[in-house]
Amino acid sequence: MKGVPFHRRKETKLVLRYLIATFLVVIFVFPIYWLFAISFKTPGEIFAFPPVWYPKSIQFNNYAVLFKDGDAKTVGNSLVLSSVSTFFAMIFGTIAAYSLARFKTGGENLGVWIISQRMMPPVAIAFPIFLFYVWLGWVDTYIGLIILYTAFSLPYVIWMMRGYIEEIPLELEESALIDGCNRWEVLWKVVLPMARSGLFATAVFTFVFSWNDFLFALILTRTEVMTYTVQVTHYFGGQSNFWSKIAAMSVLGTIPVFITVATLQRYLVRGISMGAVKG
Amino acid sequence: MAAIAHPDRNFKYCLISPAIFLLLLVGLFPLIFSLVVSFMRVTMLETDTSFAGLVNYVQLFHDARLWQSLLHTALIMVIALPIELLLGLAMAYLFLDRLPGRQLLVSLLMLPTIISPIVAGATWRLLFDNRYGPINQIIGWFAGHPVPALWTVNPGLVYPAIIFCEIWQWTPFMFLILLAALSNVDRSLTEAAEIDGARFWRSFRYVVLPAIFPVMSIAILIRGLDLFRIFDIIWALTAGGPGTMTETISVYTYIQGFRQFETSYTAAIAFLVIALLTVIVTWAIRRMGLAK
Amino acid sequence: MSDLKITGLHKHYGTYHAVKGIDLEVPSGEFTVLVGPSGCGKSTLLRTIAGLEEASAGTVEIGGKNVTWASPRDRDIAMVFQNYALYPYLNVYENIAFGLRSRKVASTQIDKRVKRAADMLGIAQLLLRFPRELSGGQRQRVAIGRAIVRDALLFLFDEPLSNLDAQLRDDMRVEIKRLHQELGRTIIYVTHDQIEAMTLADRIALLRDGKIEQLGTPLDLFERPATRFVAGFLGSPKMNFLPATIEAGEVILRDGTRLSLPAGRNATNGQSVILGLRPQHIAKAGASAAPGHVQLVATIELVQPTGSRVQVNMPLGGISIIAEFAAHEVTAPGEQVRIDIDMIRAVLIDPQTDKVI
Repeated sequence: MKGVPFHRRKETKLVLRYLIATFLVVIFVFPIYWLFAISFKTPGEIFAFPPVWYPKSIQFNNYAVLFKDGDAKTVGNSLVLSSVSTFFAMIFGTIAAYSLARFKTGGENLGVWIISQRMMPPVAIAFPIFLFYVWLGWVDTYIGLIILYTAFSLPYVIWMMRGYIEEIPLELEESALIDGCNRWEVLWKVVLPMARSGLFATAVFTFVFSWNDFLFALILTRTEVMTYTVQVTHYFGGQSNFWSKIAAMSVLGTIPVFITVATLQRYLVRGISMGAVKG
Repeated sequence: MAAIAHPDRNFKYCLISPAIFLLLLVGLFPLIFSLVVSFMRVTMLETDTSFAGLVNYVQLFHDARLWQSLLHTALIMVIALPIELLLGLAMAYLFLDRLPGRQLLVSLLMLPTIISPIVAGATWRLLFDNRYGPINQIIGWFAGHPVPALWTVNPGLVYPAIIFCEIWQWTPFMFLILLAALSNVDRSLTEAAEIDGARFWRSFRYVVLPAIFPVMSIAILIRGLDLFRIFDIIWALTAGGPGTMTETISVYTYIQGFRQFETSYTAAIAFLVIALLTVIVTWAIRRMGLAK
Repeated sequence: MSDLKITGLHKHYGTYHAVKGIDLEVPSGEFTVLVGPSGCGKSTLLRTIAGLEEASAGTVEIGGKNVTWASPRDRDIAMVFQNYALYPYLNVYENIAFGLRSRKVASTQIDKRVKRAADMLGIAQLLLRFPRELSGGQRQRVAIGRAIVRDALLFLFDEPLSNLDAQLRDDMRVEIKRLHQELGRTIIYVTHDQIEAMTLADRIALLRDGKIEQLGTPLDLFERPATRFVAGFLGSPKMNFLPATIEAGEVILRDGTRLSLPAGRNATNGQSVILGLRPQHIAKAGASAAPGHVQLVATIELVQPTGSRVQVNMPLGGISIIAEFAAHEVTAPGEQVRIDIDMIRAVLIDPQTDKVI
């Protein structure tokens, strides 16, 4: 665009970029909108040809059915499993991260092994665990899945928290030691408060990862502890899917994640980028 | 990055022990257990726990369906990963400079990544429905007549369907990482390159790419491994079908273990996969200095 | 035809008016320094000349061509950045050669020119090293090398010595001055350091608040400042400012001290002024006062030796002023000493307009 005044060139670029950006956002968000829309539609609207683009009115019938049938309980199961496992993963993982960060425990080898655990395929791990759990009688129990989720979340927590801890100036801890604190107090009083935002972000992501899990739940739950992710697949049929149920259940399982992530937006860039990029 | 001068030995081991214990449970135990069971002949019908040598492993080599599943997995990886990378990069450049409402737009773009993959698959299953799905409706607009494409059944369409869904869900992930990486590139470097006469591609190749390469490699590694393990999306859309056309290694393993109950054989597959991945991943992690 | 001509340049950042109408013409081969306190707009001006910022109004002409809307690569300029901006993944040779390669210059040519630039800057032995292996001073030379290897019309320096320690800064200043003498290129140099400005410039543009306060040779600005700001900015230690009134050809300070003005000064009777005296123009008195000089006695408050000179604080006209003596003329606090004030070089400032009379 030689010869076109500078400011005009930048303006047109901006408008163009904005249009494309909005277009992309629409494309990426549309399927989610569709899911929500179906959950609010009447059967007539769902099975309409040509498709109805938005429900005439928002009706909660589909949701009511889920609660009536007790299917909504699965969301509660997910909640219990995810929160408890996240809680323990954060505790065990953070202190382990501290050990790695400050004491270089196990050297590089341990670090490598821990990170590599995150990369293992769930199905390869779940299968022997399943056999083991059958023997223990832990299939379809809360404790079984909590232990599994906690263990599986640990590599991520350790990796992330190690990064956050390494950013805390050593002088703060040294000064606390000189002031007479023992090591546990240093951890509790100095390190954890400083790492607060990191703890937050990591906890959110750990929670979301286990909340969204399907494969482990599929293999290791039956009826007692079924999570919402498995429940959704029960509505798949050969020809006739229970569309309204699929949509409503999915939305029920998705809203908590949306809310959590939306409120904690700012802290999350680092979590998503797996600590690859600082800040 | 100094370690504390007087390490309290007990303290540091004490801190790390619960985590190590759990990790061994999930990391080492399945490996050993699989190995042991894979040397037996445990199936749905018989529970023969006597040592049977490498019979299962031999069977692995002759199992065409297994190799097929690896091929399917590779196919998905090779197609989806570059697309996610390039699309994510293009989007990152789009959002790099100031843009009104950028914060909101980026948050919206994050949505596909934070929902459960099974929900993503379920959503696209609804979208792809041959009669009532909006995708076919939109295609119909362009074609001028109704197009009841059977996305989840038609052999020619199942892979596009899976890959669409996968790219839809995970390109924003790439986008976010690359956006952060691009933002961290030293402005004065690109300015110096511009004054030196470099146009976009030259500047990208010599200034930007080297700067974002470490971050990009991590992203590629993570996405690559996730693609290798892909299960949820496929299960939701096609369950490995039609027939075994879209069976990936994870799907095949699941079916062998929990539909066919070929316990020992599945154990062999599990062991092999874990062992192989450990080697590859360990190499990659060391190479990129991630554990430092 | 001048190498750089700026007319009526303005730059807004939203509501912030950074550059408020600047006119500047730089003839070929001249070393022009843009100097001023932080926030005065000098870096913005330079970046606008470079095309890294777009002007809100006005024109920029380089080599007679209107480049106001041209992108940086089309402006025939070279630039040295404050943080060197060396390409970390290329070695020194490739860093210097980058611009030439971008413009598709032949390899043999490139080789010749890179080696010549490296020799000139004393970095020939570093050609295969990478930026991270170099010291700050070495990196700066590479950055300069990258600029001079291209035969650009205009050379822009953006505070190149700010990141170096004091000793290195002095050495590099000499290098830059020598380079300019050898190569004779047109240079626009931004700094906040008035010593750099004074020693390097052919002409100084002193900026304040987005405008050029005064444009002239270093000596012009030093001896004949146009405003109080210019008078106070250049010269170290700073000029002393004493409020006073004019009466019958004499300057009356607040404490009653009378200093006679040399003939030829036009100052209205009864006018209130600010008297500007440079510390260098207040000396230890010799036998008798030369014409235009005034002698009086003062009490020493504080003595600060600086090596070859001594800064001496003393009260005069109600405030504490600084004079600069030679080192051997050291006096002790509390002593009374006879000082000689050069009234010819003194400056009278109108307190209303801050302009020099």
